[in-house]
Amino acid sequence: MAACIAKFLRPWSPGVLPARWTRYNPYYLEPEPSKEVYRIPVTELTDEQKAAQELKAVRPIKAAPPGLTSSVFSDPTVSKFVNMMMEDGDKVLARSIITQTFESMKRKQVEKYHKAPATEKEGIECNPYTIFHQALENCKPIIGLISIQKGGKYYQVPTPLTDSRRRFLAMKWLITECQDNKHRRTHMYEKLSQELLAAFMNEGNVIKRKHDMHKMAEANRAFAHYRWW
Amino acid sequence: MATKGSGLQAKVSRMLSKDFGKPILKPNKPLALRNEVANRKLRQGEASCLTEMSVMMACWKQSEFNHAACAQEVQAFQRCTALAQAERKARMGQESSGQGGRLHPKQANTLLKRHPNLYREI
Repeated sequence: MAACIAKFLRPWSPGVLPARWTRYNPYYLEPEPSKEVYRIPVTELTDEQKAAQELKAVRPIKAAPPGLTSSVFSDPTVSKFVNMMMEDGDKVLARSIITQTFESMKRKQVEKYHKAPATEKEGIECNPYTIFHQALENCKPIIGLISIQKGGKYYQVPTPLTDSRRRFLAMKWLITECQDNKHRRTHMYEKLSQELLAAFMNEGNVIKRKHDMHKMAEANRAFAHYRWW
Repeated sequence: MATKGSGLQAKVSRMLSKDFGKPILKPNKPLALRNEVANRKLRQGEASCLTEMSVMMACWKQSEFNHAACAQEVQAFQRCTALAQAERKARMGQESSGQGGRLHPKQANTLLKRHPNLYREI
């Protein structure tokens, strides 16, 4: 009886402890996942690489996040896309959707390949990873709009974007387009594969959205001087 | 030096006193230096890469937003933005270290906090 009560008086600690923090001391170094870096013989290292290796002996290293692997199949862009699609921390579901998307894209492209005449066979791209990368590249906007306040009013000012921002916008547009503007009875992987193949061909709603952004920027080019950076 | 200081004090106290009719000075803040410096704003910069942007937009208008036709201008614009960003980063690093022979207002404030002027009896 006393033991049961004492159980509740113990200091509570969570059953699962997070190993990687989000706010590390800047002293900590990033983990290096690629095997090629470690396979270089000591004699062929450049001065920078030698300095980096020596630094690793004295500085602590951050814990590797669960999405980081040294496998040949890991792709940082795909990992970022999976993270952006993930809801409530369900990475398994997001990753399975992406795998199904790639599978369905490959099936469609291989079907097209076999049905096409011999002259057109070389033009058809079957690798889903190249299709994904090319589609993302086609969806990235070149110029963005920023809301700047001047004289009490807010103006949409055209501004250059960083690479990370452009990649984020492309991925965000793809995901929201597939979530909102499609028939509700289709699976997400089906919607994604349709949208990615369309973007690969420079068609579809995401490309249209990118063009709309560019047109707005072009219309507002008079306000470009409101920027001060 | 001491004589100079006392002469100024005498003049100021005469201007503040009500013995000779209305006082000449009616300060609402203490007539002493504060232990901090105002944070001066950076001089206003201009927008970077405007020419490249306008050239690219003219090309877009001509070719009805056909991006394949404007590849050269787009690449020039992207090169310009990369340069501008690198320049901005270098400038930020340089400004925090030294502002052309003068102290940065933040550094001046830190120093003054450590060695303040005492104008109140503690």
